[in-house]
Amino acid sequence: MTIVPKRLAVKFNLKREPRIQPDDLAPIFQRWIQEHTVDGMLIDVIDYKHVPEGPGVILIADEGDYGYDLSDGQIGLQYIRKRDLPDNLPDALRLTFRQALSAARQLESEAPGDLAFDYLSAKITFLDRMRYRNTSERFDELHDEISSALSGIYGASVRLERCYDDPRFNFALRSTVNGDLPADDVVEGLTKNLTPV
Amino acid sequence: MTTWKEQLADQIPETMGILIDTYEAQIELRKQGKLDEKVFAEQRLRKGAYGQRYDNGQRHDGVQTRQLSYPSGELVKGPDTLWDAPGMQRIKIPYGGLTARQLEVLSELADEYADGILHITTRQDIQLHYVHIDDTPDLMRRLAAVGITTQEACGNSVRNITACTLAGVCHDEVFDVSPYAEAMTQFLLGHDDVQDFGRKFKVAFSGCAGHACGLVKMHDLGLLAQTRDVDGEIVRGFTVFVGGGLGTVPHQAKVLVDFCSEEQLLPLTQAVSRVFARLGEKKNRNRARIKFLVAKLGIDEFRRLVQEELETVPHDDRHTAYLDSLGDFTYEPAKAGMSLNGTAMPDGFANWYQTNVYHQAQHGYSAITLHLPLGDFTAQQGFHLADIARRFVGDNIRLSVEQNIVLRWVADADLPAIYRELHAIGMGDAGAGTIVDITTCPGTDTCKLGIASSRGLTAELRTRLIERINLLPDAVRELKIKVSGCFNSCGQHHVADIGFFGNSRRSGNHKMPHFQVVLGGQWHENAGSYGLAVGAAPAKRVPDVLEALTNRYVAERAEDESFQSWVKDLGRKAIKAMLQPYMQLPSFDDQPEYFSDWGDSRVYTIDDIGVGECAGEVVSLFSLEIAKAESTHFEALLALDDGNFHLADEQAYKAMVLAARALVRTKYLDVGDDYDNIVNEFRSRFYDTELVYDRFAKGKFARYLFKRHDQIPNRVNEDYAHQMMDETQLFIENIHTAEQRINGVIVS
Repeated sequence: MTIVPKRLAVKFNLKREPRIQPDDLAPIFQRWIQEHTVDGMLIDVIDYKHVPEGPGVILIADEGDYGYDLSDGQIGLQYIRKRDLPDNLPDALRLTFRQALSAARQLESEAPGDLAFDYLSAKITFLDRMRYRNTSERFDELHDEISSALSGIYGASVRLERCYDDPRFNFALRSTVNGDLPADDVVEGLTKNLTPV
Repeated sequence: MTTWKEQLADQIPETMGILIDTYEAQIELRKQGKLDEKVFAEQRLRKGAYGQRYDNGQRHDGVQTRQLSYPSGELVKGPDTLWDAPGMQRIKIPYGGLTARQLEVLSELADEYADGILHITTRQDIQLHYVHIDDTPDLMRRLAAVGITTQEACGNSVRNITACTLAGVCHDEVFDVSPYAEAMTQFLLGHDDVQDFGRKFKVAFSGCAGHACGLVKMHDLGLLAQTRDVDGEIVRGFTVFVGGGLGTVPHQAKVLVDFCSEEQLLPLTQAVSRVFARLGEKKNRNRARIKFLVAKLGIDEFRRLVQEELETVPHDDRHTAYLDSLGDFTYEPAKAGMSLNGTAMPDGFANWYQTNVYHQAQHGYSAITLHLPLGDFTAQQGFHLADIARRFVGDNIRLSVEQNIVLRWVADADLPAIYRELHAIGMGDAGAGTIVDITTCPGTDTCKLGIASSRGLTAELRTRLIERINLLPDAVRELKIKVSGCFNSCGQHHVADIGFFGNSRRSGNHKMPHFQVVLGGQWHENAGSYGLAVGAAPAKRVPDVLEALTNRYVAERAEDESFQSWVKDLGRKAIKAMLQPYMQLPSFDDQPEYFSDWGDSRVYTIDDIGVGECAGEVVSLFSLEIAKAESTHFEALLALDDGNFHLADEQAYKAMVLAARALVRTKYLDVGDDYDNIVNEFRSRFYDTELVYDRFAKGKFARYLFKRHDQIPNRVNEDYAHQMMDETQLFIENIHTAEQRINGVIVS
């Protein structure tokens, strides 16, 4: 069984440039803390929007951080699970996807008509260079297991590709749902498949 | 499963490996309750593993104080510091010197253990935030494998030794101080004579007297390069300064030795360390820095003690061994030096070239500054920058005390190409060393001591200034702004043209974030003089304060007149009058936005809900009384400006008594005007009961009053008067804070 990474992240990019600015995110995240809108022990909000293509605005939590992330020139909602990951990779992916989806949907609901995430595709980052070196060999080793887990999450087959060739970077994959499925159906499937039983 | 310890076993120096293993064992012992929390805390700090804001398990969310229930429950890593709470890891980078490989490893650690950001400090360190204590041993191992240690990065130890970023390439330096900084770093690291300090000890090297880079006059120990002709031979050495420091009460360092030969540099440093360890304050942390010992003994007596100690320092081969290898300390450029002539210039290059490029003493080479916003960069930028460094400059990377990165040994012909590449990764901003290049400490973002959001204010000022940088006159563009989140001066506000430090004021039943305005500090001449506070403005008015100051400076300055000179000529009274409109406190109902800090939507607070009753009535009386104290303090400042040091001292003393009276009258209206009565009542009601105690400084500020009340100074000189001004300011701040805590119905 593949060892889970130390940290695992899932990011959904925005479909289009939003009207709201990164400045608007800190108050939203502060409100999430007040109202305990998302899961986790929410600690603080940190603002890095001044850093080009950086982590943007982050809602720091004990278990995992929610970020309005600006990295790679792509704005998106990223959830980084930092602790208490399940001890098998499919469940770890499932948990991280669930948290990311939940936060992204929440953000959409607070900025109706503006923020819209592309759920057909996701960036999955394994923040653990000891166990997940960013090499093509490691990708080949892990491809089938990750692909299978993601198919279970989406209820559809997915294709995977590495985000970076540079071996110093994190092992990061872009997953994309195969075929021409309606986005609403994908979200519905995701929500259903990720609901804890 | 392989561990980092196993994987890196062959790459970690043995002594560093043992230290990290011991630390990891201490973590386990602490978890099992077999190691005292205070002992562990000091051990952790000496490894650079610091606490962070909210690590006591409480946070005000803008509505109420919430408990943060971490999984490890009540387990602590120090007093009031919960185990699972995120912490900060400080990483020492001696004289700021980095290799490309080290930069890569630091970047790896930032996104695996922290929040993806590397932060450069004003001591040329790197800090990572939101790090879990359990991750720190492996983090340290990965650093150790590339020659970086976090040992003695915090705690009561010798902190990162700093030096000019241009050392070795500067036109004006006497000689390159880098190898001396390196030698002293290695000599003092873990040395027996530096393990028993009552407080931290900061050392800096500078290659010349005129420029700012080394800042030796604001250090515990400052070494300024000098040469002397001895029997026809030019020999190297240093002017040694001791007892400088910023902090709550800034001190200018005194000259300990006019010329210390290079052979005597390490023995003398060891002697200073031994005197400090033996005679420095240990119990009262607030007076434990060496500056207080030097002030207490006087520089002449301190010098005598050091000379006496020097004779007892045992022989150590290391004192001079490094001198034999000074010649090995060379720089390897990646390319041959070539002139810029004829190379095509990309868009934006001209502005960048003007502010970010320094032509080295070595023909055909330049040092370039990467102007980083708030001292931050991402892990990905770090990887890309390592690539750029390898191609253009090799391992010639330095971090600066102005929170930037400097690449040295760039062939001039490569300047357009390197600019293009830096621009592509978001590190090609112009404006290094100008008014937009603002220094700031972490403030309330992550620091436990932060009172106001220094980073939030800096980001706001920076955004506004960049928008109109091309419209600003040169005299304004060249100004230095530095911001601290509290009076502890980590943002070095004392040595800026325009400095700000965070405090708070009360309006009605709410607190409002403020910044004290500090004008006229001197960055040049190694932090040649310190500025003084002229008044506090609400945080949201600080951009207006800055604009008012710079507009008037431009309008009224004589040709080529410096900001320091203009401030001095204009006088504190006129400046205060100019800023007065920006210092008014609106009510919460009228302008609620003033009650939130920059970059933080929460209603402002600095601590949990205050206790007490009858706030409304008391506040009104207190506000009147404390205003008298502040006015008197201002009079004292004017007297200081006039050179009337005795009057300044008397007025400052009076201001402290009035401030104490203001607080006493909230409980005892008939205290009267007799100074003895006021001080006695203040002592028994607020000091002995610890009601006036600051959470971190304890009774330090109250003792400023007692000290002056109990002893009329024998000799009032300028240094004394300056110190009196600062202590009075801090005492008044302390009274404000105490009143809010004791009497207020603070709802935010």
